[in-house]
Amino acid sequence: MHNISLALGGAWKVLLYGLLLGAGLPAVFALGMRSLSWGTAHGGTESGAAPAPHPVGRVVAILCFALVIAVALTGVAFIIASGMGKTISFQYVFPTFVDK
Amino acid sequence: MNAEFLILMLVVVTALAFDFTNGFHDTGNAMATSIATGALKPKVAVTLSAVLNLVGAFLSVEVALTVTNAVIKIQDKSGAPKPEFLADGGYSLLMIVLAGLVGGIIWNLATWLLGLPSSSSHALFGGLVGAGIAAVGFGGVNWVGDGTKLDGVVGKVILPALFSPVLAAAIAAAGTYLIHRITRTVTDRYREAGFRWGQIGSASMVSLAHGTNDAQKTMGVITLALLASGHWSSTTDVPFWVKISCALAIAAGTYIGGWRVIRTLGKGLVEISSPQGMAAESSSAAVILVSSHLGFALSTTHVATGSILGSGIGKKGAEVRWKVAGRMALAWLITLPAAALVGALTWFIGHTIGGLGGALLIFALLVAAATFMYLRSRKTAVHAGNVNDDWADAQRDTSAPTLTSTH
Repeated sequence: MHNISLALGGAWKVLLYGLLLGAGLPAVFALGMRSLSWGTAHGGTESGAAPAPHPVGRVVAILCFALVIAVALTGVAFIIASGMGKTISFQYVFPTFVDK
Repeated sequence: MNAEFLILMLVVVTALAFDFTNGFHDTGNAMATSIATGALKPKVAVTLSAVLNLVGAFLSVEVALTVTNAVIKIQDKSGAPKPEFLADGGYSLLMIVLAGLVGGIIWNLATWLLGLPSSSSHALFGGLVGAGIAAVGFGGVNWVGDGTKLDGVVGKVILPALFSPVLAAAIAAAGTYLIHRITRTVTDRYREAGFRWGQIGSASMVSLAHGTNDAQKTMGVITLALLASGHWSSTTDVPFWVKISCALAIAAGTYIGGWRVIRTLGKGLVEISSPQGMAAESSSAAVILVSSHLGFALSTTHVATGSILGSGIGKKGAEVRWKVAGRMALAWLITLPAAALVGALTWFIGHTIGGLGGALLIFALLVAAATFMYLRSRKTAVHAGNVNDDWADAQRDTSAPTLTSTH
């Protein structure tokens, strides 16, 4: 049953990249959220206004969110590329459209 | 206007009807979690998903015309219909496709009525397999492909259905666990608000991918019918009107929203929160994109359901309603044979009557069945106003999503 061995061969790749992108990326997003709340956990004012996060926390948060957005945009590029019968290559580091 | 042309028109209309059911059956795959957590209002969610499906459908510049090759042998590798089906203006091929589509639509509507997410592509493949067996025999079915890649009923339908929900569940469970671990010191209010954005973003990606993948299938089927009846000759291109009408049909279906399925996915399986929603949709988007990049066929529905289930497994203390999950798994198991049975029966009825009369009769039967199921659904209507009602104990054991309150 070649189909079963092919499926098993493909499944671990999907699991590996899936974990990296599908679980790793939300974790980076979560790190960004946690950084934003750095220093605000006990500093809430009585009026209920949000206290400003620690400056370093803010920078880390922005970096995290930027990474998430960049990967998500690459995902959109993948969808567009596959619609045009192409795929994306990272041969030159920057993603470029190439024929399948 | 001759009989062949009328039959072709019936096939086109039926294919667009299938595309429509494909849209509304699958709205929940992308949007159920955002609707359940309140990240998006129900109407806004289905509108966003519809627009993204429309855009996605138009992004399908290169449409594969070989969609039926995955399961039956009525086309050659280039997408051209095999010559033995081309007598009588392509009548025998048109009847196989028509009966297959009827099988797919009836299964889609039946599972929607029961509020069960089930794969539209499996329903279509099942219908085609049944019609193919009825018309040509078991030899007309592509069971395992030629051995060089995942192909045939086993490689493109059965194995992905076994693997993809498990992988998606594992990834979503890992994501949910990590998110909760990392943000356990963040106050609930910020956490919910923040993850809503992540949830909307990842759900949008699933919608866009759905539009590019699924609308293509109907485009391929319609173009095959046009090729078989001699109204189109290119196997590298689809007519522009086919593209537009398929894109509109899937978007309209998505906008109508299969609220019964959305309810089961968003409320029935797991009581979902925003962080879980983001983990679930990210896992779905990742599995769908990675698999399509590696060239594996899979069903968005199986992936989305697995992901939502996984988001329940990954959160400590979250309740997963395994009974609901079990009923879904059962529906998936019988999707292919059930749609195949309807496809085969439909083909026999059409073939026995023969000619235009046969095609008209199956079309009339389809309309009657669809009307019946629609009227049946009105008895316990699920809509934007009550889709998020509490999942009451009583309905865990009933097949239809009955509701505890009226609006």
